[in-house]
Amino acid sequence: MTRAIVAVVAALALVAGIGALFGHAPGDLLSILLGGSLDETILKTVPLLLTGLTIVVAFRAGVWNIGGEGQFIAGALAAFVAARFGIVAALAASVLAGAAWASIASLLRWWRNAPEVLTTILLNFIAINLLGWCVNGPLQEAGARYPQTEALSVALPARGEVHAGVVIAVAVCVAIWWLLYRTDEGLRLRATGFNPSAARFAGIDVDAQIFRAMAVSGGCAGLAGGIELLGVTHRLFERFAAGYGYSGIAVALLAQLHPLATLVSAFFFGALATGAGELQRSANISATVATLIQAVVILTMILFGRRSRA
Amino acid sequence: MILLAITAATPLLLAVLGETIVQRSGIINLGIEGMMLTAAMTAVLAAQGAHSAAIGFLGGMAGAAIAGAIFGVCAIELRADQIVTGVAVNLLALGATGFVYRELEQSAVFVRSVPRLGFDASVPLAWIVLPALLALLLWRTMFGLRLRACGENPEAVPSVRAHRWTALAIESALTGIAGAHLALMLSSGFAENMVAGRGFIALSIVIFGRWKFKGAILGTALFGIAAAAQYALQAMNRGIEFHLLLALPYVATLLILCGIAGRVRPPEALGK
Repeated sequence: MTRAIVAVVAALALVAGIGALFGHAPGDLLSILLGGSLDETILKTVPLLLTGLTIVVAFRAGVWNIGGEGQFIAGALAAFVAARFGIVAALAASVLAGAAWASIASLLRWWRNAPEVLTTILLNFIAINLLGWCVNGPLQEAGARYPQTEALSVALPARGEVHAGVVIAVAVCVAIWWLLYRTDEGLRLRATGFNPSAARFAGIDVDAQIFRAMAVSGGCAGLAGGIELLGVTHRLFERFAAGYGYSGIAVALLAQLHPLATLVSAFFFGALATGAGELQRSANISATVATLIQAVVILTMILFGRRSRA
Repeated sequence: MILLAITAATPLLLAVLGETIVQRSGIINLGIEGMMLTAAMTAVLAAQGAHSAAIGFLGGMAGAAIAGAIFGVCAIELRADQIVTGVAVNLLALGATGFVYRELEQSAVFVRSVPRLGFDASVPLAWIVLPALLALLLWRTMFGLRLRACGENPEAVPSVRAHRWTALAIESALTGIAGAHLALMLSSGFAENMVAGRGFIALSIVIFGRWKFKGAILGTALFGIAAAAQYALQAMNRGIEFHLLLALPYVATLLILCGIAGRVRPPEALGK
């Protein structure tokens, strides 16, 4: 907890300092950065929470799923195709597609011992180009004017801008906490991540455990993509994923890999992303400051003690 | 066309050579993508500042060294998780270069055309001189033996950290040249996220090359020629398949990983 606060303060101070070097008043910079609208912050929190949980589940099981970005896209593509069967089918398809995309990596790890760090990253690039092909080809809007799909006719129910995906994401967050800390499956999963040889010795089928963890992890990222499509963008386009998969790593590490803390951490990064967009619009400061802050948060978490895994 | 392909793949090869050395010492550095991106920007800044491409290459090395030092402090000194640290270095480079680029966008630094070298020495350097020197270092010297021992059984080496830092310094120099070559010779300056996954592809080629320099050259050459063929195809056929072609190198690398990774033995202590 202390570590997390130190990390956040350090990151904000550093960004204000760098901003000052380039002639931006630090007070103004921080007030815009942290003063984004609540509605937009909530909208940004939803995908960050789910991609954060993606990382929490994977890292707790000791498997390096760096492929949140690709699983996010796979989920959104499946949701788009399944949307004609209704909103529930679309959401279910997004979970399954995310899980399937992640399972390619765990299958290759099991079958050919291919390191999932690399295969998940490669699968990100493959998904990005697959999406590019879809929105320029088979799924492009009628008239083919822009590289994007038609807008979907179904959407998540919403009140104002805030859609029902918020409820789903929070429910998933609690469910993941329940899974990890209140079930045998969660105990085995954490044991596998903590010490795979000891877990194997204790009779846990480590390969199957990792396979299931990867599927749950990818399912979260896929759902994030599905909700983003059905609640916010309503259509697919080339830069749909917008880095949510990688941001999830910062979200999860700030939460010290605890599912419930991920909620707070995702909200913080959601506010930052909202504020960074506002900075770019009103003060012409690059919105990549949000990425910069994510990096500094991860590095400070590292500097102030080793990551807890248990 | 082969020559063009080889030139275009030069930054990739430099990154592969650097990562091979580092992984031989037991470190997996995912931050190589960020090191190259930082180098690309500092190379342009230095070259414009000094009106000299040679200074630009030095600037690139300095930029990569800064990013490398951040990685080293966390991963070597503090023994933090190497994969998490690497991801952080990439995000840091992406955020920092994006910020600086927008701040200086209007100034002449990123608008004026960059100075170039009269003779592109990086190509023979990367494809012949450096692999030979690095192979000598790794396989024929006491230092190389110890470096490899750091990757296999670090308990047996008294000065693991010094050897790993040296490997990281070599990688920084190489990725610095790579970033500078990319920005100053292959492109006409800096662009956001211009490394575009080359660092990650380099990581895969290291495995494809079985942590050997001959393998590194062969893998990079195959990859470079495939990439060039893809651009040629793209120029002929401007249809929608262009996006599928863009995915091809990644699919190929994936196939390489599962075709070969099952039968190769990585350094025993890699990532530990």
